[in-house]
Amino acid sequence: MSTLVPEQARATVRELEAQCRQCLQCGQCIGACPNGFELELGPRRVVRMILSQDVEKLLKCEDVWRCSECQACTEACPMEVDVAGMMGRVRELQMEFGGVRCPERKVAEIATKRLSRKNKIDNMLFGTAMVSRGFIPSDLLATAEMGIKMSTGKVRRRPRLTVEGTEPKPFYAGCSLQQDKEAFNATAKVARELGFPLAEQEGAGCCGHGSRGKVPAKLETDKSVFTVCPACDYSLQEVEIETEPVWQALVEHARREELKLAAAKPRFVPYVGCLTDRETALGSLADAAELADAEMVSSYPGLHAGCCGALGAMFRGPTEAVLKLIDFAAENEAPIVTPCLLCRDNVRSAVRSAKKKVHVYFWPEFFQAAGTAATTADGEADD
Amino acid sequence: MSELRDNGLKPRVLVCECAGTMGENIDFERLERAFADVAEVERSPVWCNRQGQARLLELMEEDGSRPLVFAGCSQDFANRRFHRLFERGLRLEVADIREGCSWVHNGDSESVTDKARRIVEAAIEFPGAHDDKMVLENRVDSVLVIGGGVSGTQAAAELAQMGHRVELVERRPFLGGRAARIGTVFPTNDCGQCLPTTDAQAGVRKCFHRNVAIDNENMNIWRRATVESVSGRPGDFEVSLRQLPNIVTQDCVNCGLCEEVCQVGSEEEGGKAIFSEFYDGRVQRTVDLEACTFCGACAEACPVDAIDFSQSPELTTVHAGAILTAVGCEPAPARLVEHLGYGHEHVVTQTEMAELMDEWEEASWLGEQPVKELVMIQCAGSRDRRRLPYCSRICCMIALKHAIRLRTLFPEMKVTICYLEMRAAGVGYENWFLAARRAGVEFLRGTPSEVQFDAEGRPVIEVEDVTAAEKKILRPDLVVLSTGMVPANDAGRIAEVLNVDLDEDGFIDILDRKNRATETTTEGVFVCGSAAGPKALVECNTEASAVASEIHNFLSSAGRKSVPASTVDAAKCIGCDTCEAACPFGAINLIERPADAPRPAEVKGDGKLAVIDGEACRGCGICAAKCPELAITHNLSDDALFGRLRTMTGGVERPVVGFYCKECAGAAISLSGLRHDHYPDSVRLIELPCLGRISALHIIEAARLGAAGIFLAGCAEERCQYRTGDLSAEEQIELARELLEEAGTPIPLELWHLCAVDRHTVGRRIRLFCARAEGSEEAYRAGIELERVGSVPCAGGGDCVHASA
Ligand code: SF4
Ligand code: SF4
Ligand code: SF4
Repeated sequence: MSTLVPEQARATVRELEAQCRQCLQCGQCIGACPNGFELELGPRRVVRMILSQDVEKLLKCEDVWRCSECQACTEACPMEVDVAGMMGRVRELQMEFGGVRCPERKVAEIATKRLSRKNKIDNMLFGTAMVSRGFIPSDLLATAEMGIKMSTGKVRRRPRLTVEGTEPKPFYAGCSLQQDKEAFNATAKVARELGFPLAEQEGAGCCGHGSRGKVPAKLETDKSVFTVCPACDYSLQEVEIETEPVWQALVEHARREELKLAAAKPRFVPYVGCLTDRETALGSLADAAELADAEMVSSYPGLHAGCCGALGAMFRGPTEAVLKLIDFAAENEAPIVTPCLLCRDNVRSAVRSAKKKVHVYFWPEFFQAAGTAATTADGEADD
Repeated sequence: MSELRDNGLKPRVLVCECAGTMGENIDFERLERAFADVAEVERSPVWCNRQGQARLLELMEEDGSRPLVFAGCSQDFANRRFHRLFERGLRLEVADIREGCSWVHNGDSESVTDKARRIVEAAIEFPGAHDDKMVLENRVDSVLVIGGGVSGTQAAAELAQMGHRVELVERRPFLGGRAARIGTVFPTNDCGQCLPTTDAQAGVRKCFHRNVAIDNENMNIWRRATVESVSGRPGDFEVSLRQLPNIVTQDCVNCGLCEEVCQVGSEEEGGKAIFSEFYDGRVQRTVDLEACTFCGACAEACPVDAIDFSQSPELTTVHAGAILTAVGCEPAPARLVEHLGYGHEHVVTQTEMAELMDEWEEASWLGEQPVKELVMIQCAGSRDRRRLPYCSRICCMIALKHAIRLRTLFPEMKVTICYLEMRAAGVGYENWFLAARRAGVEFLRGTPSEVQFDAEGRPVIEVEDVTAAEKKILRPDLVVLSTGMVPANDAGRIAEVLNVDLDEDGFIDILDRKNRATETTTEGVFVCGSAAGPKALVECNTEASAVASEIHNFLSSAGRKSVPASTVDAAKCIGCDTCEAACPFGAINLIERPADAPRPAEVKGDGKLAVIDGEACRGCGICAAKCPELAITHNLSDDALFGRLRTMTGGVERPVVGFYCKECAGAAISLSGLRHDHYPDSVRLIELPCLGRISALHIIEAARLGAAGIFLAGCAEERCQYRTGDLSAEEQIELARELLEEAGTPIPLELWHLCAVDRHTVGRRIRLFCARAEGSEEAYRAGIELERVGSVPCAGGGDCVHASA
């Protein structure tokens, strides 16, 4: 077996080994990891395998694909090991040397197969996004074409984003919002009605989030852009583009301008997912609740920031973290509201598979400017 | 061979055959003949037996002023053999022809005899400086002790009992420090407010408040006092102290009426601006000057008129021969454990837990249990490169102590300790770990990275159980953080005032982590207890006693045996400050050149001149090696050093020169010689007081004299007794390497770090170096191969198998 591992892979692992020698094996990385409950080995043991230079096991380790690149582990590490970086390097190593062990490709494959049979599942849109980023085997051309068709804008009505007379803010919609016209419209609507004009960056392309492979971001700008997706924030910041979540900016704007918000339901459970900066994101949801006279029901922050189930880019079934959250929401008879569109889809899928009666909203679907029609979607999980 | 000793007398050379052990390769007849002209030679089969020593005594008495050169064993060996005669004033220049020559070479009598001759010749012509009795200026017989915690007070009490005057300075109004306030301590599980010393019953512990040792008449206690500045020199420091008034006078009977009327809150015990801490016992009561509004209500209420607001701060100057800093340490600040929820009502530190313990004990008497589930987090903020990178060493034991007590008081309480390693390395400590497990404490290996809170404000901890390799959620009612300790908040200021270094963690740096744990980097300034890093009470007590005897020795050494200090030749010194920067002991100062001082031609009217403080100089020779003008004379002068080099490198075409420091490297080499570990006789060794004495010039001179290779052997890394000698040598060897390479004549140059354990390997190392120096790289490799084959350790003696390469 060992002879099958190329020397180059060994050399890389030796290099990585030198970078994590100071690891104490304290486990703080797993303690901090939002995916911690789902992992078989977890970052600590990945580091351990690097230290023992167990290249065979590293090339087979699926946990690295369950990492959402949130950096929580690196931030937690008392020994300044770049833990998230290690997870990334092992992923790259698998792409280069492990071949078949890249679950992303498998997942994309499965998603596109289902897509051709049943065209209204939440993951469909996400699957299309995968198509546009080249994760689809070339023989599935039809699907790929469909993806392209969806992303060229022929099938959606382009909503009005700008407000006359004010300087529009550069807006980067990313892939997820592009695929979901309802969500797009809702976002545009709330922005418009709050007097916060957005100008979509045409042809901005994929943000190139690392766990989806090495697609470089296409956007080039020296301005700060507003975003809807935490993965976009992360990847754009990587290429030194400043970003700010649009909904966070909207809440701040509303607060500053003393505008009221209207909520679709009197109370809700917040959920911010793993990639979003937990503190700020929960804070903004709390602020929005206040502006809308709604009640935010929450337990401890970790519960509202665990992994949604998009382990390594694709939904693979409900995670323990999200099941706990759904239970909590069901107990409190309140819908879940999240600022991340991917999270919304994945939590919806989880709700369906857990057979619970819990509604899940993307933020602009739940909060609107006061005095306008409260919502454009009902947050239903069912078709 | 003409430069004879000052008095013009021919030296007497005593040649020793060491009971025939050198006969195989030294031709004594020839050796003797070599000195016939320049010295009186007297040969004996054994000089160190009864008859030999009797004869030596005779020679000393008859002819005391004639220099004596002893050609036989090494200096170390001779010192031991002739110690009685040395005590009676014998002065011997030792030429080691035994473990430095005959015993380490094989049979070629001609070349070995020639080498022996050169060793003796070098000793005759270039004798070493003799140790001088340095007279130190009188040392003031008093000690300033900064810090009246357990360490400082105990050391002060011991010093006072030894008869030294002690000025004990404490910042707070009460003695006893942290330990007296904290409650019970490990490993004895009783209070921390006792000292092991009393006048009456040595070795019996006694409470602070009635310990007569503290009340020793030699001791002067300055409460509420701080050290403002220090000047003077080791042996006579002048210290200025600032003392705040106590307000409450000695008339106080501690009735407590004042505390009842006081309306002003304070952080101090009792929560009022007028307060008491009872463990000291000497001062009844005092006023929190920060909080007090000076309303005067207490003064009115006092039935004995013991409250006097007219007192003001005072400045005083005291003299001290030595200073002891025992400023202790303190718990880590809250910001270091905020990520673990500190500041939240359900999170406390172990120090706060210790205070809670009294309350909880009372609760247990009433059958109540304050909490259901409690989690302790070890290494809270510690062993973390972004917070406290070090281990505070006491937190594990404190946690065990508290956990056992909790499980004993409340058998239904779930007590979990999240830990990374249980560090229970003291005497009997492991039993505490065992006791805790037996008491039903749950040990979860794994450190939480944060503590969160649910909507009800209850702590939630997500932690990996590392042993089970799974992530868990704990929901305790109370989280107890085992926070680390940090330097006392004025440690930095004290260090500045005392001019001592701090270590990388901000504690007072100790001179030597193995042997001199109670000395600071400044002579005459000592340290003990937690000021030098967090310590358990056990260690504080031990260190307090250790530092007391250390200071006693320092104060009593009115004169010390020492080599002569180095001197600067004003006629050569250009005032460049190289030496000032190089001296590891701060013994060199640049002064304005006095008008009448000699000066080199290029130095005009003003300018600077280096002067060496003879008492602070330790004689390492680093300055002499670095001075670009060769203006500094070390007791091993350049003349002597170059002379020995010339003499020793003669008679062999391609010598291998080894300069070695006589301390650690010297020990390894002479012990290796005692083992008869052979190396080629082309190796010529020059002993130095410290490797720092070597300059690139010496190395280049050796190369010029035909050296095939040169090695420098110094002490183990960072173990130079003169602190920077090895570093200086490293610079010089690199400089020499560059120069030789530029000149197109590179030769192998190596710097070795040796200590006495290397006695087993240094012979082999020298042999291999010779192979490399004399031959090519291939010869070196072949040498290694050869050594590997014959790698049986050399047993020494006549049948030694080592052949020279
Ligand atoms: S947090 Fe850092 S030190 Fe601790 S186990 Fe993970 S990588 Fe190692
Ligand atoms: S980057 Fe985030 S998801 Fe990935 S291992 Fe680290 S903590 Fe877990
Ligand atoms: S010999 Fe050493 S201690 Fe003395 S002055 Fe020179 S450098 Fe300083």
